[in-house]
Amino acid sequence: MTTLESIPEKLGSNQSWVEKGGVHWLEPGAMTVRELAQAMNELHARFITITAYQLPKQEGLRLEYHWDLDGQLLGFPFQLAGNSIDSIYDLCEAVDWIEREIHEGFAVDFLGREYEPLLLRQGDQIGVNLREEVKK
Amino acid sequence: MSYKIPMGPFHPALEEPYKLDLICEGETVSDAKLHIGFNFRGIEHLAETRNYIQVIALMERVCGICSNIHTLTLCQAMEGLTNLTPPPRARYIRVVVAELERLHSHVLWAGIAAKLMGFKTMFMTCFELREKVMDVLQAISGNRVNYSMNRIGGVNRDIEDPLAVLKMVEALEAEMARTVIPIFTTSTTARSRCAGIGVLTHEKAISCGVVGPVARSSGVPQDLRHDAPYAAYDEMEFNTPVEPDGDVRARLMVRALEIMESCRILRQALTKMPPGELHTGDAKFNFVTGTSTSRVEAPRGEVMYSVSWREGSRNPARVHVRTPTFVNMPAIRWMVLGARLADTPLIQASIDPCYSCTDR
Repeated sequence: MTTLESIPEKLGSNQSWVEKGGVHWLEPGAMTVRELAQAMNELHARFITITAYQLPKQEGLRLEYHWDLDGQLLGFPFQLAGNSIDSIYDLCEAVDWIEREIHEGFAVDFLGREYEPLLLRQGDQIGVNLREEVKK
Repeated sequence: MSYKIPMGPFHPALEEPYKLDLICEGETVSDAKLHIGFNFRGIEHLAETRNYIQVIALMERVCGICSNIHTLTLCQAMEGLTNLTPPPRARYIRVVVAELERLHSHVLWAGIAAKLMGFKTMFMTCFELREKVMDVLQAISGNRVNYSMNRIGGVNRDIEDPLAVLKMVEALEAEMARTVIPIFTTSTTARSRCAGIGVLTHEKAISCGVVGPVARSSGVPQDLRHDAPYAAYDEMEFNTPVEPDGDVRARLMVRALEIMESCRILRQALTKMPPGELHTGDAKFNFVTGTSTSRVEAPRGEVMYSVSWREGSRNPARVHVRTPTFVNMPAIRWMVLGARLADTPLIQASIDPCYSCTDR
């Protein structure tokens, strides 16, 4: 069993875990989401989901990636500079539908993957469900 | 020559609408594409417009089978944001209702599987039994679908006479042990229709991140009630059935054995239920700014809620729901590869899909 304390070093991070709201959080720092996904694969962690948030006052979007490691829920927040982030679909098959859903709901582009036809809605406009400016 | 056969969105083999495009070579399936979204109701967006009382009633309606699980997971997440801990009796009542829900969900699935196998007598037997489980749930909550049992900091209703409920559970357990379990695990019909079809290998189960009975029937020993206990599960003794074969029969076996384990948990919870309060007594709640996450082992597998709040607000800023079928459904594509066309209705049903949950 991998101990939580040993993970930041393996990830090349100098941050430490913060337990809050039922999740062990680790700021990814300079680590990219693809490096994170690779590291989680090596730890045999189970991918759970990505939660997207549109931050207030046009501060952009935050994506929280969650993995399960031996019953412990791990969380890694990524602040998006624009509307895009690298896809990890080629590294983690389980991410397929949630990337598609966030693409449709929040108009986030996951770079490096192709999208199949729409997952959750009819029409041809992305970001229609949960993105504030499109909702209006 | 390959040709495409659409199954759904409205089809006798589907409990709810979704679409499975099957690419066939003769009678053999060579590829499949899944299309969902026919039940999309925008519930995550609606949740942002409801206050902390209304949002519980709303999220109970995400699913018509495991409605209680959604309020349990949501309330646990909201308890994380209000720093409330439910009293011991409430935690036991949460276990009882969650296990009764698992029972009725598994028996319902067994009935539908029997129907798809062409085993109509078994279908009727399962639905008759499920009615008895529903009677117990109605006796406890007054409702058959949306039980309204959970609230922030505890439960809304007591189980005033746990031993009377125990008698009903024991009668159910005896009936299941006498009919459903032996027939599903030993009958030639069940075996010939289910063994060796719809295989999801152990490696593919891990790669797809499947959860619940689908994972456990591909040899992945995963169960949040053991791995990350909530409510009063840390005080219960039970086993997590795991089967290695990954076929429809393994999924059948895992659920059949889970029915017996649920009865075992119910017996413990009902006999050991401590006296005391049902909830913390708070009528108004002070939420702190932040996000709280909760996970629960639903009948179909792991449900996760991420609830975000801003202090002073009556409404959540964001509610994200990750349901088990959302991760189990993509695996259907791998299960039907190489299968006979005639087996695909049973294969897709073997994950016990819930499209209402998936679409939200």
